[in-house]
Amino acid sequence: MDTGQYISGAGHLILIGWAFLGGVFRSEPPPFEMTEVSVITGAEFDAILAAQVPPDQVTDVAQPQAPEITPDAPEVAAEPDRVIDQPVPSQAEAPPEDSPPEEVPDAPPQPAEVTDAAPTLDDPVGDVAVLAPEVAPEAAPRPIERVAPEPVAQPDPEAAPELDQQQAVAPDEAGETPDEPQDATAPEEATTEIVTEATAAPAASVRPPGRRPAAPEPQVATNEASQDDNAAAIAAAVAAAQAAAEAPGTPAPSGPPLTQGERESLRLAVKECWNVGSMSSEALRTIVVVGVQMNRDGTPIGNTIRLLSSTGGSDAAARQGFETARRAILRCGGKGFDLPDEKYGQWQSIEITFDPRKMQ
Amino acid sequence: MKAIILSLLLVLTAAFAAPSQAHAQEPLRIIIDEGVIEPLPFAVPTFQPETAEAAQLASDLARVVSDDLTGTGLFREIPASAFISTVSDFNAPLQYADWKAINAQALITGAVAVTGDQVTVKFRLYDVFSGAELGNGLQFAGTTDAWRRMAHKVADAVYSRITGEGGYFDSRVVYVSETGPKDDRRKRLAIMDYDGANVQYLTDSAAIVLAPRFSPTGDRVLYTSYESGFPRIYVLDIGSVQRRVLESAEGTMSFAPRFSPSGQTVVFSLTQGGNTDIYTMDIASGASVRLTNTPAIETAPSFSPDGTRIVFESDRSGSQQLYIMPVTGGEAQRISFGEGRYGTPVWSPRGDLVAFTKQNKGRFHIGVMRLDGSEERLLTASFLDEGPTWAPNGRVIMFARETQGAGGSSSLYSVDISGRNLRPVRTPEGASDPSWSPLQQ
Repeated sequence: MDTGQYISGAGHLILIGWAFLGGVFRSEPPPFEMTEVSVITGAEFDAILAAQVPPDQVTDVAQPQAPEITPDAPEVAAEPDRVIDQPVPSQAEAPPEDSPPEEVPDAPPQPAEVTDAAPTLDDPVGDVAVLAPEVAPEAAPRPIERVAPEPVAQPDPEAAPELDQQQAVAPDEAGETPDEPQDATAPEEATTEIVTEATAAPAASVRPPGRRPAAPEPQVATNEASQDDNAAAIAAAVAAAQAAAEAPGTPAPSGPPLTQGERESLRLAVKECWNVGSMSSEALRTIVVVGVQMNRDGTPIGNTIRLLSSTGGSDAAARQGFETARRAILRCGGKGFDLPDEKYGQWQSIEITFDPRKMQ
Repeated sequence: MKAIILSLLLVLTAAFAAPSQAHAQEPLRIIIDEGVIEPLPFAVPTFQPETAEAAQLASDLARVVSDDLTGTGLFREIPASAFISTVSDFNAPLQYADWKAINAQALITGAVAVTGDQVTVKFRLYDVFSGAELGNGLQFAGTTDAWRRMAHKVADAVYSRITGEGGYFDSRVVYVSETGPKDDRRKRLAIMDYDGANVQYLTDSAAIVLAPRFSPTGDRVLYTSYESGFPRIYVLDIGSVQRRVLESAEGTMSFAPRFSPSGQTVVFSLTQGGNTDIYTMDIASGASVRLTNTPAIETAPSFSPDGTRIVFESDRSGSQQLYIMPVTGGEAQRISFGEGRYGTPVWSPRGDLVAFTKQNKGRFHIGVMRLDGSEERLLTASFLDEGPTWAPNGRVIMFARETQGAGGSSSLYSVDISGRNLRPVRTPEGASDPSWSPLQQ
């Protein structure tokens, strides 16, 4: 027993002594690194570095590049490489020849694509105009948020039972405290919105027409004709066919269809004058389709405006919807809608569907 | 070979050109689903006096017509200073261009003749941009005392022709006129034109009066009075200002009465033994029928326009909510499920909406909802809004708003059911508990 303890105690002492004296707890790897760095100082170190950089780069680059280049070089002859180089400049010369034909036919269609961008610009404009009315009907929910300032005033003598029930809702009240400043403005907003329509300056022309692609198709035909006799004959046949097709049609040149931008421009112009504020709730559920014939100057012919059809409401509601639509067409068309003259045949007759259901 | 190709191409192009030609003749079709909501500009030149005595009335009539239309928020008057031309002859053709130039979309012309105490008013309504008359001219005749009513009738006709909805200008409102501080407020019944003109008092302020309600024909008023010390329901004849109390048992309190659409029956609340339920009573016989029988408080009943159902408030669920039951009583269906407490429901004259007072988080609101509780829409928010009543056309709601504090007072407001056009109604004193009459005959 004692012997065992002695052996154990001695063993432990030896272990502890080795731990302290043997440097188990003193090993300091950082100092080792520090000493190595501190040894190198002065211009010699810079000189060494400067001297070492070039050899390092040389060795690194030289080893990989050398073997790679050497195998390629023998495999590919120097002459074929030169041959390949020559076609490259020849190709560079070729593109200038190709570019002119591409530009000529593409020029007209590209503007058409730009017009597609125009409608995207129209949308924000339309949204702005619509936002104001849309806010008005939604004014109702706002009062809910304006609940803050008067909770303090709640303890009215009259409302003793009310206080009890509202205590259950207390957590909600805490969340609404930030809404306090809205209380005073809440009802006023509702009224001001209605009053503000005085700013109904009807700007009839929303934007100028995108561009006027003056007969792009004939140009394509002539270009093709210059290339080949057959193509020339084909183009002539096409042109003759088109001319023959247009001649017996409407006296006015129909021109290409209206672009999306031109249609959107007309839509916005009518929309700005379509005032549904005085319509009955039933009329606001009634869709009317109105037809109108147009003068060449873009003005509607008043006595041609007619109700083509209606859905969703009584005859009285349809009549009121028609009268509102007619006012919109006549008011904003009084100075002429901004429509391309060369496409008169496309918009000589217009059918407009007025759908007020979103405006309820 | 070339000839074959050419002939083939000609055929193809001809086939292609044919539909395009047809297409060119088709109308351009566009769809407009967004517009603007703004007051419709109108012009009302001073009416033409056809007799010397009519000069002042001609001016006054045009003014009331204009005020009526402008007050709806749906119309905007173009001031006379902007007029380019005048209307010197009621029957002369119009210079439409002059009215188009100032963007007058509607034009109202009129003529007035006075003979003795009789007044004749004629008017025409023009759709300026269409260059045509909207409807036919109308003529009203009456006494000089009733000239405002004739102006209201002209405005009603104009409003109806343009909006497609019935008017509400030739109507009256009965309400509780209030004076004095909150702790000593004196109340009496008053009646006025819808616009606050021609106020008359129907009772003195000796006893507290509450909740006057018009009969369907506008000739009688139900109200609650504490004249006997307990709330009792009275029927008052407006023409003769005679009143009588409705029968009720001793020890009971009856209040919150409303007429049925027939005018023969009254629905009301009766408190007996601490419990409040809803009853109907035949006015002529005094026979009553109990419609609800729960320990909860049921009150504020209101008939549907067809007289088959009743909307009321009850706290049977633990909080004050709205319910609809058959006119014979029976199972009631809860329709309000939103946050807060709902009270004083009133069925719309159109039958499609219920107006109510809502209390939520310390604020009061006037709101409307559909009969199934859907599409709840709060129209107002304030310290205390209560007591909604419908205009005869169901498009406008009048209510009472009380301001905060010991010195606070109550006054009347009107608001469109869209929540727009909130505006005060002028009364000479404080006012609460409005009830809108039907259109006068």
